[in-house]
Amino acid sequence: MPSGSAIIETHDLVRDFKGTRAVDSLNLSIPGGELFGLVGPDGAGKTTTLRLLAGLLDITSGTAEVMGYDLAKQAETIKPLIGYMAQQFSLYADLSVVENLKFFADLYDVPRSELSERMERLLLFAGLTEFKDRRGGNLSGGMQKKLALACTLIHQPEILLLDEPTTGVDPVSRREFWDILNELHLNGTTILVSTPYMDEADRCSRVGLMYNGRMVVCDSPQHIRSSIKAEVIELKTDDWQTAHDMLKQRPGVMEIQTYGESLHLLVDSAEERLPEIEKALLDQGISYRGVRKATTRMEEAFISLIRQMES
Amino acid sequence: MSLRHLLAVTRKEILHIFRDRMTLFLVFLAPALLLFIMAYALSVEIQHIPVAVLDYDRSAVSRSFIQQITAGEDLELHSQVNSIHEINNLLMRGEIKAALVIGPSFGRDLQAMRGIPIQIIIDGTEPQSGGFAMEHISRRAEEFINQSLSTQIEAMGGSSNSIRPIDLRVRTWYNPGLEPKVDLVPGLLSIVLGFPALSVALTISHEREHGTLEQLMATPISRPELLLGKMIPYILVGMVNAILLPVIAIMAFDIPFNGSFLLYFMLTCIFIFAVLSMGIIIGVFMPTQPAALALSFLLIFFPGFFLTGIFFPIAAMPEIVRMESLALPGTHYAIITRGTFLTGVGLDVLWPYGVMLFILGWVFVAIAALFFRKKLG
Repeated sequence: MPSGSAIIETHDLVRDFKGTRAVDSLNLSIPGGELFGLVGPDGAGKTTTLRLLAGLLDITSGTAEVMGYDLAKQAETIKPLIGYMAQQFSLYADLSVVENLKFFADLYDVPRSELSERMERLLLFAGLTEFKDRRGGNLSGGMQKKLALACTLIHQPEILLLDEPTTGVDPVSRREFWDILNELHLNGTTILVSTPYMDEADRCSRVGLMYNGRMVVCDSPQHIRSSIKAEVIELKTDDWQTAHDMLKQRPGVMEIQTYGESLHLLVDSAEERLPEIEKALLDQGISYRGVRKATTRMEEAFISLIRQMES
Repeated sequence: MSLRHLLAVTRKEILHIFRDRMTLFLVFLAPALLLFIMAYALSVEIQHIPVAVLDYDRSAVSRSFIQQITAGEDLELHSQVNSIHEINNLLMRGEIKAALVIGPSFGRDLQAMRGIPIQIIIDGTEPQSGGFAMEHISRRAEEFINQSLSTQIEAMGGSSNSIRPIDLRVRTWYNPGLEPKVDLVPGLLSIVLGFPALSVALTISHEREHGTLEQLMATPISRPELLLGKMIPYILVGMVNAILLPVIAIMAFDIPFNGSFLLYFMLTCIFIFAVLSMGIIIGVFMPTQPAALALSFLLIFFPGFFLTGIFFPIAAMPEIVRMESLALPGTHYAIITRGTFLTGVGLDVLWPYGVMLFILGWVFVAIAALFFRKKLG
């Protein structure tokens, strides 16, 4: 499949569960080699989308094609071509790292001649070489995720479907995990990853925001950030609770997010509102250490988009 | 069907069995323990049943009658009472299981060779001991009366043979002592050998609960590869049990073995396949381990006890239950164990039951594979 043309393509994809529509008219087109991030609040339909694409759920209506194969009819043909990693640890806790790897290698018919070399390389890649005889259940959360990734990579799939692979993992392991993903991305693997972390979304080549089963926005992180109409004012203050209560009443303030001791105010126009806010703080006698216009981050863009949806 | 996939699942499943003590106990120790306990319980004979006597006659004859009846180990004279009311009391308190009432004219009637007035009262809430007591009392009473009549006839110069026009002697084949254990222990094998079916059901629902089934569904493994791969280790376990358990039965409980052990072993392997495939069905349909556990008891173990003809004859069941019992592997296997242990018949007699088990096993596996989809939700 030539890079550039769509390797995953869905048209009006729908999946219902008893009365609720988990995925609603999803149109997704992912070209080969893309690192695509799927974001959205809990219950938005990210897991269902990934399960549908992995052939683990029946399609209610619409179509989905993976590498040109129809998911409704050829799910079993697609399975050897993809690597799917479920959200929860779904390896065998009573089998060792190597036993888990070997089990999946057998199921994916990895040529025996290549097996030991591939296993060694993956263990090294995942930083698990010295833990290779440890039972899966005795690994740390981060190591479990890396082992799960190694198991999904054992057959060198062209497509990776990863469902929140870094949830519940410490920041260092999270970074290591993403370094691995970047390396795979550079080698041409198509990756579809869902994540609740906005810094991770920023590392994707394209991000799709899901809400209530629908794809609301689908664009590069830069475009998404610049597309929102709000601007951000960062306010550093010791008395942030009083400041928060006072500022949320003010005209032009759409949203206040708290980051430790600083407040991020989403306003319609920073230029216009910054002097007003400074004046109001002085009038109320709220001391502050600094107030300035800040660049919009993925997180603010995301929350602002979600709020827009909710209202 | 890929042999590599099949063996991968089998190898993994064997590791699970040996690494989990509970599973190891369930598949190896539990069947042996269960057989031992049940066989032991069955081999203890009913003895020393407490009996009360109400003697309205109080003659020398009635006294020697009472003495004869309570001699031996079977019955024990609890007390001599003075009224029916007392008997009622003792029965209600469970102190006696049966009572013997001797009519006031007992001695005289016996002398006059008339009908003998005795009454036996038994506790119907415990018919086994009661019935056992009744049997003993009637047999002893008969002996006592025959004896006393013979003496009288001989005293009058006649031949005592003249009062026994028919001499009926019963011979019981295959189980001469009519010991319940000889019949029941081979029957119980079907229950204890079927025990690992529980583990098979649990291993599937365990994977469903822990999300590993989701991961398996995402791989190219086929449904028969997964289901049969899970069964093979338990068939191997069953083969070990199939040799171990009869040895316990024969050595520890003196159960005879009159047939061919090889034939028994081969037919047992087919039975294990059939009963394990019931476990597979349960695992496929039940979403959680508790549900799988409950259904295993409902579908495998209780019917195994009550509907397979081990304890209650199938001939005494209503038509619809009889049909159900035919679908239970244990029904056919009970005939196989009786045949190989007791009557010692060969393949010429037992082959239909082996074929039936073989068919049942594959039907169950087919149903499981048909309804087990590689899809969630």
